[in-house]
Amino acid sequence: MEYLKYTPEMARDWKNAINASEGYLRKRVADSMNESQLVSKLWLVEELSNLNVKPVNISLLAGWFAQYIVPLLYDNIESVEWIENFEMDRDIKRVAYKFNTRYKKEDKYKVSIRNVMFGNLISLSSPTFDTVINCSCEHMYPMSKFKKLKNTGVDDNALYILQSSNDTQYDDHINCVNDADELADQANLIDVLYAGEKLLPNGMTRFMVIGR
Amino acid sequence: MKNTILCVKWGDKYGNEYVEKLKDQVEKNCSVPFNFYCLTDNPTQSYDVQLPTTWDAYENGNFWAYRKMYMFNEKTIDIKGDRFLYLDLDVIIQQDLKYFFDIDMERPYIVKGWWNDIEVCKKNFAKFQSPMINSSVIRWNRAQLQKVYKHINDNLDVIFFTYPTIDNYLNHFWYNMHEEARSDVDRPDKSFLNVFPKGDIYSWYKGNVFPDDMEPKKRREDCKICLFNNSGEDNDTEELKLLWNT
Repeated sequence: MEYLKYTPEMARDWKNAINASEGYLRKRVADSMNESQLVSKLWLVEELSNLNVKPVNISLLAGWFAQYIVPLLYDNIESVEWIENFEMDRDIKRVAYKFNTRYKKEDKYKVSIRNVMFGNLISLSSPTFDTVINCSCEHMYPMSKFKKLKNTGVDDNALYILQSSNDTQYDDHINCVNDADELADQANLIDVLYAGEKLLPNGMTRFMVIGR
Repeated sequence: MKNTILCVKWGDKYGNEYVEKLKDQVEKNCSVPFNFYCLTDNPTQSYDVQLPTTWDAYENGNFWAYRKMYMFNEKTIDIKGDRFLYLDLDVIIQQDLKYFFDIDMERPYIVKGWWNDIEVCKKNFAKFQSPMINSSVIRWNRAQLQKVYKHINDNLDVIFFTYPTIDNYLNHFWYNMHEEARSDVDRPDKSFLNVFPKGDIYSWYKGNVFPDDMEPKKRREDCKICLFNNSGEDNDTEELKLLWNT
């Protein structure tokens, strides 16, 4: 997968999102839109498309502004019906909605402010999630914990799509891994459908596993 | 007595003289009766109370500071009183501590670092850095913080792994930086923790109130307590000892 479809609706939403991001948020938005962020999300959707799976309701953990992953999933994975982005930072919510207003209006996207490692994620509007995406595993406790939590709304046989990094130079990278196998082990994945790594333009090696 | 003032000492960072000096300061600066306790890993004095060790198994380099949180469950540490005031060992008490026992206690209190730039605190929120609050002084009534203790006790592995300091943890879970500043963000609800008003407590190294009163290493007699903590960087204990004697 080589590109994101830049539609007029997306242009409208992104312009509104960037206009809504003031002060320090503007830099954070810029960081979230760099080349490596896009490459890693294109990689994720490409490998997911290659598998014989049909994600419907997606729990997106720590999805940040989610301006790339949400349209990439809706544009390329026909089965997707709902994406809920669980973020702990209250500050991102307003801008995250602006980026994906078109999906919010169609009742296909929600941002919920939650720390995902402490459970109690679901609300009345949440479906049962058949798929979990976490592209921020290096920022949190190993995913085996999440799988044991109650009230996450995640099906016992859910598909997990996980990305992490071996880049330890940042203080908030509290859980880096050395390879994709370690990432799969951390999540206790038994049936690994995909495992790979990619050198990103920023020099960081990204690892990804897809499995149950 | 209903009022209790307590501190925590473990390891060898601070000697007994810090506890004695704190006790001396509170005796000179508290016009209401109070109990005094020091929770410690090495009890030697009549006011010492043994710190529990139940969380020691989770030691991972971040855990050391969390020992302070045992005091949130008064049943665990068996201390008397109904109204509690915790003080770090490296503080200078400048005014009557009665003030802290007279304040409205709808919610427990913690220090808000008024010297912090809130924009920096918000920017670093997700990085577990620059917490707006500071646990050097905490005021609570019996049982008010047991909910926090239970949350920690139920999530020891994740909390000790994720949050390098208790201030970061408390900032993430029990304080809402946005409650005063914004109304259009998710859950603009009241924080569980209340904060001491502007001007009550200042930092020797960082200042008083951002951006107007930020001169470091300046004595502010109008404030009630001066904090000496500096996120573990460049703490000058000799400087603190000199101020004890002024």
